[in-house]
Parts: sequence; C-alpha cells; structure tokens
Amino acid sequence: MGRILLVGRLALRDLRRRRTEAALLLIAILAATTTLTLGLVVRDAASDPYESTRAATRGPDVVASTGDFAQPADLEKLATDPGVTEHSGPYPVIPGELEASGRRSDVQVEGRDATVAAVDQPVVTQGNWVSDDGVVLEAAFAQFLDAHVGDPVTLGGRSFTVVGLAVTAAMPPYPGTSCIVSVGCANGAVPDDRDLPPELLHNPGLVWLTQADARSLAPARGPMSYVMKLKLADPDGAEAFVDANSGDHGGTMMPMQNWQSILADATELARDSQILLLIGAWLLGLLAVASLSVLVGGRMADQTRRVGLLKAVGGTPGLVAAVLLAEYLLVAGVAVAAGLAIGALAAPLLTESSAGLVGSAGTASLTWSTVALVTAVALGVAVAATAVPAVRGARSSTVSALADAARPPHRTGWLIAVSARLPVPLLLALRVAARRPRRVVLGVVSIAVTLSGIYVLLVLDSVLGDLAGTGAYTEPQVAVLRHVLGVWTVILLCLAAVNAIVLTWATVLDNRHASALARALGATPQDVTVALATAQVLPALLGAVLGIFPGGFLLFAAIITITGGDGDKATLPGLWQLAALVLATVLAVAALTAVPAHLGGRRPVTATL
Amino acid sequence: MQQEIVLAMLAKEPSYGYQLRARLRDALGPLGDALNAGQIYVTLTRLEKAGLLAVERSADGGDRSDRKVYVLTPDGQQRVAEWIAEVNWPKPDLAEFHLKLIAASSAGLADPVTIVDIQRRELLRRLRDAQRAAMAEPRHSNAALLLEGVVLRLQADLRWLEACEKNWTHRRSGS
Amino acid sequence: MNKAAGTPVLRTRGLRKEYGKGEGLVRAVDGVDLDVSAGETVAIMGPSGCGKSTLLHLLGGLDRPSGGEVFINSRRIDNISEKALARIRRTDVGYVFQSFHLMEELTAVENVELSALLAGRPPRAARRRAEELLDQLGLAGRARFLPSALSGGQRQRVAVARALSNEPLVVLADEPTGNLDSAATLDVLQLFEELHGYGQTLVIVTHDARIAATADRLFSMRDGALVDETRLTGGTAGNLGALIGLEG
Repeated sequence: MGRILLVGRLALRDLRRRRTEAALLLIAILAATTTLTLGLVVRDAASDPYESTRAATRGPDVVASTGDFAQPADLEKLATDPGVTEHSGPYPVIPGELEASGRRSDVQVEGRDATVAAVDQPVVTQGNWVSDDGVVLEAAFAQFLDAHVGDPVTLGGRSFTVVGLAVTAAMPPYPGTSCIVSVGCANGAVPDDRDLPPELLHNPGLVWLTQADARSLAPARGPMSYVMKLKLADPDGAEAFVDANSGDHGGTMMPMQNWQSILADATELARDSQILLLIGAWLLGLLAVASLSVLVGGRMADQTRRVGLLKAVGGTPGLVAAVLLAEYLLVAGVAVAAGLAIGALAAPLLTESSAGLVGSAGTASLTWSTVALVTAVALGVAVAATAVPAVRGARSSTVSALADAARPPHRTGWLIAVSARLPVPLLLALRVAARRPRRVVLGVVSIAVTLSGIYVLLVLDSVLGDLAGTGAYTEPQVAVLRHVLGVWTVILLCLAAVNAIVLTWATVLDNRHASALARALGATPQDVTVALATAQVLPALLGAVLGIFPGGFLLFAAIITITGGDGDKATLPGLWQLAALVLATVLAVAALTAVPAHLGGRRPVTATL
Repeated sequence: MQQEIVLAMLAKEPSYGYQLRARLRDALGPLGDALNAGQIYVTLTRLEKAGLLAVERSADGGDRSDRKVYVLTPDGQQRVAEWIAEVNWPKPDLAEFHLKLIAASSAGLADPVTIVDIQRRELLRRLRDAQRAAMAEPRHSNAALLLEGVVLRLQADLRWLEACEKNWTHRRSGS
Repeated sequence: MNKAAGTPVLRTRGLRKEYGKGEGLVRAVDGVDLDVSAGETVAIMGPSGCGKSTLLHLLGGLDRPSGGEVFINSRRIDNISEKALARIRRTDVGYVFQSFHLMEELTAVENVELSALLAGRPPRAARRRAEELLDQLGLAGRARFLPSALSGGQRQRVAVARALSNEPLVVLADEPTGNLDSAATLDVLQLFEELHGYGQTLVIVTHDARIAATADRLFSMRDGALVDETRLTGGTAGNLGALIGLEG
C-alpha cells in the first residue's frame, strides 16, 4: 500500500513539475482517442441503427406498391403467396405538398390505421401516432423541415397539426426516401436545364395520416396508389421473392423493394461519411503519433536521467518503471475518458442523416468494443513510452544514466559548413534544425500529413459542389457531407496547430543553452527568435510541398480507390490555389511558432549560462 | 643548509664540489639560486670534521678546494640511510601569525583585518613569483614539481588568510 | 599597465544589481566603481555568492544593472537597446566561461569562428582567423576535433580563442580555471600571461588565488562590493629560495 502511494506521489509530482509538457501530452493523446472514438462510433452508426429500427418497427421484408398500373387487388393477391407469413395494408398513398413554418416540400402521404399494424408499425420517437387532423412526420424529414410536435402544417390545402415524429424501416430516412406513389419521384438535385413533368414529386418526404384524412386529399384525377408491407418466411430470400413477383401482373409491373436494398440506401450516406471520417482518423492518427513521439521522445531523454536518480537513491528498476508507467497511465486515463466523451458527443453531428432510424437520433452509442479499443490504444502509448526509458534505465549503469543529462545534439557537418555562408538568423536556424534531424523529419511529416488532408478536402469540396448539381446527392446530403468535411478540417487544423506548437516548444527548450550562448556571443534577441521560428518554418515549407505532391495526390487516389468513385470528374485545385495553400501554411506555422520562439529568444542569458 | 641533504646528494657517487652544486641546481631549479657556493663548502667541511665524509685529492694534484672529491664514509652512509627512513615534515608556523592577530586585537595595537590584508598581499606576490617561475620551467621537470608544491602551499595559506579575514571581520562587526 | 594612459577601457560608477524585493531583496552588486585601463589584467576575487559573476555579466552587457553606469571605451552601455548591446558583445567583449560553453556539435575551429560569423565577418576570413588563433594557442592539430574529444584545458583554450576571434577590447573571464585540474590551470594561466603580454585587457573573476596572483590589480569582493584593492605589479617578493626555506 505504501509502495503504491509512493509511486503515485512521485508520478504526480513529476507531472506537476512539468505542467506545460503534461498538458501537451494530454492534448496529443486526447486528439488520438477522440478521433478514434469518432471513427468507431460512426462505423457502428452505419449499420446498427437500421437493424434496431427494423426490429422495433416490425420492419417489412418486402415493400410492394401499386405503381402506375397495378391494382390493390394485385397487392391482396400477393399477400396470399405461400412465402408471405404476415402483411399489413394495402394502405393508400397520395402525392402532395407540405408547408411548415414557411418551408415547402413534396411529400408522399401514407394513410394508416390508428391501430397497431402487424408489419411496419412506425415507432413514434416524439408525440403520438396518427389521429384525425393529426399528421406524423418521418423523423429525418422533420429534422430537415425543423418541424416539431404541435406545429401547424398545411397539406394539400388542408391544415393539420404535427402530432408525432416516427421512424420506419420500410423506407430509408429522408432524403433517401424511396418512391411509392404512381406519379413518380425525382430524387437528388434537379439540373435547371431539364424539364420534368410538373406532377413528379421532387425529393419527397414521408408523412402519415389516418386513412380517412389521406383519402380526403386524394387527387381528382388518376388512380390512387397503394402500398403493402410483407413479412416473408425466409427474409434472406427477399430478393428472390421480389424477382419472382414484381414482374408480370396482367402486363403491369409492380414496384417492390426488399429490406436489403432499403438497408443499403438507408446507410449509404453514413457510409460515405464514415469513409471520409476513417481516412481522416488515419491522418489524425499520424499527426497524433508525430506529436506524441516528440513529446515522449523528449521526456524519455529526461527520464533516463530521472531513472538514474531514482536508482541512485535506492529505487529498484521495478519501482522506477512503476513511477513512469503511473505517470503515463494518469495522462492516458484522462485522455481516454475525455476522448470517449468528446467523440461520443460529437459523433451525432456526423450521423444526423441517420436520424430517421431508431437508436441513432442523438445517441450515437458507445459500444464496449469501442471503449476497449480506444483504451487499448492509449494504454499502448503509455506502455511503449514507459518501456523504452525503463529498459534503458534498468540496463545502463546508474552513473552513466546520471551523467547522460541530455541527448547530445546531432552533428551534420555539411549543413554547418553551408550555414556559415548565410546571414546570422538563417545560420542559427539551420544549426538549430541540424541539431535534431529526427524532430525536423517529424515536423515535415506532420505538415505534409496536414496538407495532404487539406488538399483532399479541397478536391472533395469541389467534387461535392459539382455533385450537388448532377443529382447524385441532394442538397441536404451534400450539406451533411460538407459538415463531415468541416469537422474533419477543424480537428485536422487543431491537431496540426498543437503539433507546430509542441515542436517549437521542444526546440526552444532544447536550444535554451545554445540560444543563450549565441546571444552571449553577440546574436540579437531578434536573430535568435527568427532562427527558432525559421527552424520550424523551413521544414513546414518542405512539408507543405510534399504534402501536396505526392501526399495529396496519393491520398486522393487512395480515397477514390476505396470508395470506388470516379476520380476523373474531380477538378483538381489550380496551381495558384496550391501556391496560396503553401504560403498560408508557412504563414500559419510562422504565426504559431512566433510566440514560443519570441519567448525563447528573450529568455535572460545569464539565467541559462 | 641541512647537512643530511648534502650527504644524500653525495650518496650516488664520489663527486667534486661543483658536481654536487650542479646536482642541487638541477633538483631545485630557480629556487636553487638562493644557495651560495660558500655555504655548501662550509657544510662539507663540517661533515668532514664529523667523520661522515672523506676527501680524496684528485689525480692531477693541487690543493684547490674545487679539486677535492668528496666520498661518504660508512658512518656517512649510515646517516643517509637513517635520514631517508626518517618521518619528518616541516611544521607550518601558523601559531605565530594567529597570536599576532589576537594580540593586536586585544591590545588595540592594530586592526587584525589590516594585518591580514598586508599579509595576503605579500603571499600573493610570492604566489605570483612562484607561479611565473613554474611557468618558465619545462613540464615534468624536478624544479616544476617543487614549484607546484610551493604554489599549492601558498594557496593553502591564502585560503587560511581568507578564513582569518572573514572571522575577524565578523568579530569586528559583531562586537 | 600605466593607468594614466588614456581613458579606461572599462568603467563603472555606482553599479548596482538587485534581485527580489522586500524581505527577500538581494543586493548582488552594490555600488561598484571600477576602472580598467587598456592592457591591464584585473582580477576580482571573492567567495562564491559574493556577486562577482553578476558583476562580470553587467560589465559585458549580458545583464542589465538596477542602477549605476557602465562604460566601454567611454560609451555608456547600461541604457542602450538590446540590439546595440548585442553589437557591443560581439565586437567589444569576449567571454570565457567556467564551463567552457562550447557547442557540442561544432568542431573546435567551428566554435571559434562562430562569434566572427555572428559578427557578420565573411566566412572565409572567419575561418582563417579561427585557424590562426588555434594555431597560436597550440591547438592547430585539434582544430577538427569535437569538444568531447578535447581535454578540459584544451576546451578552455578553444573558448579563449573564441573570445579573441573578434579582437575584443576586453576579455571577461568567469572562473576560467574553475573546472580544471592543476596542470590545465597552469596552461590557462600561461595563456593569460601571453595575452597580457600582447596588451590584451583582461578582467578575471575567480576564487583561485593562482589566477588572481597573475593580475596587475586584484580586488576583493564581499557582499556585492569591492572592499580591497591590491596592486601586484612591480617589486617581487624577493629571493625565490625564501619560499622553500633553503637560505641560511
């Protein structure tokens, strides 16, 4: 017990002694855990909600509608098929237009009974099920309309009140809605130059009324459409059932949709977002590793000495390792908890397209496997960061560990010779950089990864802009994907900024002595400040260029391959855009490093020497 | 000049007086400049009278003192062996200076700190002279080693003076 | 060595440096008046913590005084800009530190040329001067060695060469023998004697009596103030033999 207390106290004291470092370490691990959580939660969101919705709503295996020519009788006949175990409907479906708080949208109105249906009974997430003069909106559609229970809406010229919001597994959530009205639907963005038949429904939402209310809205001309939901004895054979029965019904086609294709449609958007997020997670992971290795690497050198110190006062290698491990576990523990919380809270922002499904509306859930994986990764970092100095400390003699105060600087002869010909700030900058080549590489990698990400974001953004006009995605879908890209960008930039600051700060600390000496020999504070900043800006410039080519090109090609998309359609950013991007990166890095570099350049000389 | 030193310098082989002087000069370096030849011959004469060494006339005859070859007698050899085995170390006479300070202070004759300052200046001059002499000698020579000893002792004395000064300054301000 | 010759290279009046405030106020340097003439070697001795290193930092513009004035070659430096101060450090002052403060990743010659490069000398000229200096200080064969491959005395000689590379008006040395053994100390003393011979102005802060003894003038420092001045030039202590008790 006393031993554990001792270990804890030593660990806490060391963390408190170097607060800035501990905070930066926390941020780096936190960024990694948050990203990982986001990626995993979104992955789960892509499949689970539909399954749970299907279970909760007694989701149909097949949805059949009358289409243009079939009659309700055809549907009744289908219900008697030996493969069908249960059915509900046929229900009348009417095309219409809904107006709610100033927003208009086409809708498909499904007339339902107030009683519970055997198949496809939508689950009310807010309010109640349909009643006279009361309309129930599909949840994702309601979110798009920003409509709430109690709101007045106009439907086909009649006034209704929103009595409830519900989710169903019989149709993908808005805006992926499938078409069950005979007039037909146009999904996606409609190019302005194409003339569509005026009666065609454009991106219709789904609403439910009582059968009586629905019929009262029936159009004067044309037949009424009907829809029926079927449960099959063999749900896996739904596709075969559709193939066998949708065909010939007295010369007419009966439109049918099996649950597998509804699942695919329902989760399509979440999957696209998820691919973006996962790639983002990889990039962020790389950035997190870069900053972690700077921080942990710097600490390890320090800690080798500390290990020697602890051993010198009688600590066993085991105790020493325990202290180190305790420190990292403390930081990693906080980072895991915070990362899981932030990730879980932020994930719904990315999965709101799935709001039409149970279980995903606002509660993208953390599964045990996600928690376990995120914890394992953070613990892995902690253990790895402990193992190296612990093993090194245990193996080296106490005396040499004590004497080996700091990592000796690296000598790069040619760079020193070249720098002698340059103006003073550049001379110092090159030498500062040359002292720690590994850190320079990390700086280059960190910026290159960031820039690859931003390059891809730029391309995707322009692709999305183009897509919005072609009909592959609807406006709200593009908005969702843009949203995902936005979240990505923010996290990416935040982490890159943290990285830049971490690297500069490590450089400033590392060069405390050399900077003081340079100033004692006559370098001005400006010289030293500029040198410290330039030592970051030069690798940033290199990283920016590498990040665009080949980094960005390769990353984009990878995304295209993974998503099976068509990369030729993408408009690549222009040369001036790329040049501006590099310039902006350099300026941003210069701005971020200015403060730590300034502090490093002004540090009183006599205090250090 | 201590008799035993002269005896011991003859232990290697019978020597002329000038050889003996050269040997001493070599061992002492610039510090040997203080020795005058007369002093050495006086000592040699004393040792001869005491029967510790014998004098042989050199082959080419003559009676001049620098033609004498000095040889240790068995008694002389015995004396040298005893001297080598002796444990003897010069005692630094610090008590005199210490009592001087106490007397000066208690009788109000002078400020002890001033005495210390004057003494330190003197020691620093000696240190500088020894230091210069040491720097002029080739490294690892006998003389350089001796001079290093001198320098180190002076440093020790100076450090003691520092302690004296601190102590007397403290007493003065304390009283 | 003639104090009357011209204005002093280095001059302070009422120099003060304080740290902390209230109860914890420490007067590291407390009213120092000092004149150092061209070609003079001045030593400042005192126990550790007496403020001698702080005084040296103030003399060379590494630190700013709380009060009083510092002049280098009649130019006041305690109130000039940080940039102008840096210029003074690179042209007028050469520093030698107790722990050498060489850059570990630079060879001896690169360390020496560094201050010349910082002063904006052409790289070729800087390198030539550095090689000459190392040659003069007997380190010609070690020019391409890293500091880690040099002995303590050699490192300090490299540091002295660096201090000299811009031909400073004054060399300020802070415990230059503090980290050296007896033989290496002698090395450095010899070097300072040579510099003195060339007419280099030197201010040495030390608690090593040996180095103090080589000075023209010696000051004792106590509690931030110079309390005693000893002129060591001229007149030797007399017979060297007296030092070992051989006379009489």
